[in-house]
Amino acid sequence: MSFKQMIWKMAKAEYNKYLFYFLCNSFAVMFFFMFATVYFNESVVQVKQSESIQYVLTIPGVALVVFTIFFIHYAHHIFIKKRKSEFSLLMTLGMSNRDISKLLLLENAVIGLFSLIAGLLAGMIFSRLFFSLLMNQVGIEGVSFQIIGSMFLSATAAFLLVFLIVVGKSLFLILTRDPIESMKSEQIRETLTMKSPLFGGIGVAILIGSIIGLYFTYGNPVIGGDYLIFWAIATFLGLYISLLQFTSFIIELAKRSKQFYYQHILFWTNLDTKLKQLTSIFMLVTVMIMVTILYSTIILFSYMSAEKEAIAQNPFDIAFVEVDILDTSLLVQKENQLQEHISIPFYSYSQKDTYYDWTNTYTFISVDNFNKLTSRKLSLENGEFLSFINVDPEHADGYEKNILFPIESERRNFELKDTIFDKRINDVPNLGEMIIVNGNDYASLKERSDGEEATLHLVNVENWKESGPFVKKIEERLKTGADDQDVVQIASKIEDYERQRNSNGILFYVSTFLSVLFFFGSFILLYLHLFSSVEREKEKYSKLRLIGITALEMKRIMTKEIATIFFIPTTIGTTLALLYVVAMAKDIGGITKHPDILLYFFIVAGVYYVIQIGFYLFAKRKMLSEMIR
Amino acid sequence: MLMLEAKNIVKVYGELAGEGATTALGGVSFQLNKGDFIAIMGPSGSGKTTLLNILSGLDKPTSGEVIIDGNIISSLNGEQLALFRRKQLGFVFQDFNLLDSLTVKENIVVPMVLEKKSATEMEERVHELASLFDIEEILNKYPYQISGGQQQRTAVSRALVNHPSLIFADEPTGNLDSKSSTVIMECCEKIVQELSATVLLVTHDVFAASYCRKVIFIKDGLIHSSIDRKGSRKDFLNQIMDNLAILGGRTDVF
Ligand SMILES: Nc1ncnc2c1ncn2[C@@H]1O[C@H](COP(=O)(O)OP(=O)(O)OP(=O)(O)O)[C@@H](O)[C@H]1O
Ligand SMILES: [Mg+2]
Repeated sequence: MSFKQMIWKMAKAEYNKYLFYFLCNSFAVMFFFMFATVYFNESVVQVKQSESIQYVLTIPGVALVVFTIFFIHYAHHIFIKKRKSEFSLLMTLGMSNRDISKLLLLENAVIGLFSLIAGLLAGMIFSRLFFSLLMNQVGIEGVSFQIIGSMFLSATAAFLLVFLIVVGKSLFLILTRDPIESMKSEQIRETLTMKSPLFGGIGVAILIGSIIGLYFTYGNPVIGGDYLIFWAIATFLGLYISLLQFTSFIIELAKRSKQFYYQHILFWTNLDTKLKQLTSIFMLVTVMIMVTILYSTIILFSYMSAEKEAIAQNPFDIAFVEVDILDTSLLVQKENQLQEHISIPFYSYSQKDTYYDWTNTYTFISVDNFNKLTSRKLSLENGEFLSFINVDPEHADGYEKNILFPIESERRNFELKDTIFDKRINDVPNLGEMIIVNGNDYASLKERSDGEEATLHLVNVENWKESGPFVKKIEERLKTGADDQDVVQIASKIEDYERQRNSNGILFYVSTFLSVLFFFGSFILLYLHLFSSVEREKEKYSKLRLIGITALEMKRIMTKEIATIFFIPTTIGTTLALLYVVAMAKDIGGITKHPDILLYFFIVAGVYYVIQIGFYLFAKRKMLSEMIR
Repeated sequence: MLMLEAKNIVKVYGELAGEGATTALGGVSFQLNKGDFIAIMGPSGSGKTTLLNILSGLDKPTSGEVIIDGNIISSLNGEQLALFRRKQLGFVFQDFNLLDSLTVKENIVVPMVLEKKSATEMEERVHELASLFDIEEILNKYPYQISGGQQQRTAVSRALVNHPSLIFADEPTGNLDSKSSTVIMECCEKIVQELSATVLLVTHDVFAASYCRKVIFIKDGLIHSSIDRKGSRKDFLNQIMDNLAILGGRTDVF
């Protein structure tokens, strides 16, 4: 039997390690690819440029990169560790470091290639499957599934980059290090070189700082979202540092109290031995859980709030402006009949802006009509005017309160009496701000200037959710009368609702996709971590059994360890998600204004915990039965 | 005082009376008194390890009974047996059986930890044993940082930590050079003399066996003969070699 044949035989006998390594790498590729199918999807790209979806993709983007790098690194590490005993055997049989490197390179090239192919295939199948599932279940419009070259390219490039670095590092170590040393190194406790409470403090400070930073910048309408990526990176970094330092700090602390330390000595030394690895796992799972819960909360909230938003933004079911005399037959409906119809005449006047090259349109309304619209009892003297701004008083910040009378030639004849903030009309174009004058002034303004009079119609129907065709009909009618440049002045609950659902539809798709992806990611990671250590644990417990540990005691210790790795990340992840939810809620007026977000958060977190407990019980059982065998 | 009694131990591996069945022990009976220091010797495959495992409760006999200190081992269930073993018995293994991730000191206290002893008690006991076996300097080192002899002394300390009355050792010098073997056998002598425990060991090593008070020879799963030490260690060693020659086993003394 030649040397080559011998190696081949060994490889065949140990196909399990290869299979495991292959599956991990395929999974990483699949993960990259599935993310790419969302990131490069054209309907998503389109929305991305204009809307908040860009920001939605930020955190998972960062998390994904961190996750995959670690994941590939980890899988490789386990693979090398398992191969080490064989390598040392081969080395004693006369293989040089160079030969070992060649062998390693060959193995990795083959596995890498197969993983790439398998991962891309699986990614294609799963994202397609997931997409159809989501379409059927929720029926979102505006997203179409597609697979394009850039998805393959980016997933392949990302994977290869990480994979090459990881393999390169291993090769470097094998070629430069003393082989005996590299064989031995796995038993050594990984002690932390930079261990200090100061570092821990810095980590915690970064973590807290990033959340506070997010809280104070996210509400800013201009730059808020751009900082999100920065804060997310800071949070993850701070989390890693504090986890690492905190764990070693806890171990130190435990050592101080001898009684306590000895009592749980197996637990502590296990924690200590795997400190870095464990910290990375904690960190990644925490991040994934955080992303999952955060995004699920956002999904649930935006889905549930689409209707509320539509109602809040549109006091009337339909509002539109008619310039000509209204053809009343238009408003006659057989089904879904009109419940209420208010028509209010107003006067609109356009004038060139003093500084910019555009035209400003101003709307004037008589105080009597305004009273009719808002059920007020105001009265104005000649030469007095009111400024009406169609927003809720709570959002009044940022609006000019002391405006001058807009028509320059009339400016000296009018004086501002008051500014009124009230949300009374749908968001019809050009009707966001109005100038209110008394009847006399209204008539004389109309005479003195060359604007045009129009009528605002405010309509309520029996059931606004069914009013789609009716709105369409009015819109068509308004379009026929107007020329192309004019905006069609109509705003309705139903259209607002549908628009929200639609743009949210993509958001919904992306967020759900990411949540599910990260949800499984965290499970796979935990599972991988547990079962990669099963050999070592088995060995440890067979040693302990010889000196008289009972099965029950072993079970108890294992349970404690498994519970630790399952529930510490879940707790930290949930807490971080909550903080992020609170910070990001600033964007829509703060958590106090939308306490229902908290409700959604707790629903999501609760569901997550239930699933996590189920998975924990499953994994524990599997692990214990594996150990007892 | 009777410490251990083995009554007609039979061990058959594989299916009873099946094709692949091996009779490892064919009915072994003997007694061990308190304070005994006995070696079991015999050719490879004669059933030494099997016998030791059955006596110490690691394995169940096909038939026969083992009674230690009045307890019938085979009547105990898994949990009871584990508790009994760690309270009453001490074990030393050929491959030391130390946990890599624990320091020497931590390794020694593991049986006490399982017994939920207090920390001060543990500290005291560790220092007592460490000074007895001269491993005080290495208490905070890890197994991979110390020599085989030191590892075995650590294992011996661990075996003694819960004050067992009976110590089992399977080839305790099997992985050690002659100098370390001497140290370990001297440790065993100390156990018997100073701690007045009972020691039963299995060995191939004539030199190691010569430290004992008595050697039992087994062959093909049956007790072949036994000799007691009467004179000096040197004489006993020669006597053992003569016996092994009759038995047809390995007789190298390095
Ligand atoms: N688990 C097992 N299954 C089947 N047969 C076994 C098993 N363990 C031991 N045997 C057989 O039982 C017999 C006695 O084995 P044992 O290990 O007790 O020998 P030993 O005297 O300790 O030998 P050595 O000196 O080589 O360690 C041998 O024939 C062996 O092949
Ligand atoms: Mg043996």
